[in-house]
Amino acid sequence: MFWREQKAALAGFHPLHQALVHERGFAATQPAAGWAALVDSLYRHAGLVKRRKWALPARTLDVVVPLIIELCSDLGPKGTLTVTADLRGRDVPGKTGPERQLAVRPPIKSATEAWAVDPWLRLRGELRDGSILEILVVDRERKRSIRKRNPRGKIKWKRKSKLVQTIKVRRRLPAGVVSQVPATPPPPWIGTFVREGERCSVLAAAKLTRMPQSGQEQVDRILSVATEPFRWTAQNRGIA
Amino acid sequence: MTPCTVTTGFFTLGKCGVMAVAGCPACGRALCANHVTEGGLCPECAAARNQVGHPAAAAAYRRRAHRHRTAQEYSDAGWYVGFDSYDRAAFDPGAGADQDYLDDGADALVDS
Ligand SMILES: [Zn+2]
Ligand SMILES: [Zn+2]
Repeated sequence: MFWREQKAALAGFHPLHQALVHERGFAATQPAAGWAALVDSLYRHAGLVKRRKWALPARTLDVVVPLIIELCSDLGPKGTLTVTADLRGRDVPGKTGPERQLAVRPPIKSATEAWAVDPWLRLRGELRDGSILEILVVDRERKRSIRKRNPRGKIKWKRKSKLVQTIKVRRRLPAGVVSQVPATPPPPWIGTFVREGERCSVLAAAKLTRMPQSGQEQVDRILSVATEPFRWTAQNRGIA
Repeated sequence: MTPCTVTTGFFTLGKCGVMAVAGCPACGRALCANHVTEGGLCPECAAARNQVGHPAAAAAYRRRAHRHRTAQEYSDAGWYVGFDSYDRAAFDPGAGADQDYLDDGADALVDS
């Protein structure tokens, strides 16, 4: 297919689909029907557009779309889902903080450290049970460069990188609904924080030191953390 | 009107409730036009047979797999059992988690 035809196909896609191609992200609030239209448009991409420059960013079809589909099934008829996706990756300008000198001793001559912070996905849904669900996924990379003298007296540069991901999910319960402590604690990698009040909220947080190796694993990790706040109300356990 | 008793939602569980036009040949639950999948099966029965071509069957398959996986991850057997009994309650009158549909106002008046 010629680029001209692919360009025409691109222009016919959903506006948020086009934003993903050209800006590698978007922020939008709409009801389930609006998200269904975007998902339909994204599913047509591979058949119509082959040019690599116009490819969908990584994590679009295997992470963001599955999450949108599941959360849309929990929206009420008037409820909306807000999605803020920044799929440019953590190496774009503005995501890496200042370099900091680390204290060193010989044979290391100097070492600096900088953190790249990439909040690539934020979701907020007004669910049909009256609760509000918020999901935030952030990748953090610690980058260290080390200058050291090797045994033969030569100065060498070494780079080290460590990647961690935090997943936070907060559910504000419907007004007047009281929380119930679940029968079992969450797995050790998930922490839970409950705030009582006029509207109780349950926050589940996880820090992954091993990054998910596939889209499916990434989705499963996010949905696993998101499960915890729903265990705190009888209704979502299937007991009405 | 007989309402469709297919389970909806991922985290929040509900029943479809749209007017039923058929029954699932395998489990007998009432189905609306949107929830009749391949071979006339309900989404849950289709998913149980790995027939997930229909979006509702695919959704049912993912929801059940998710409940099963997270029940193990949380060592919380009730998390799966509760969902499963909620889903089955739809075609087991009297054991329904959501009794609204079974409340027949007119009959109740006659009985009393
Ligand atoms: Zn069935
Ligand atoms: Zn239905």
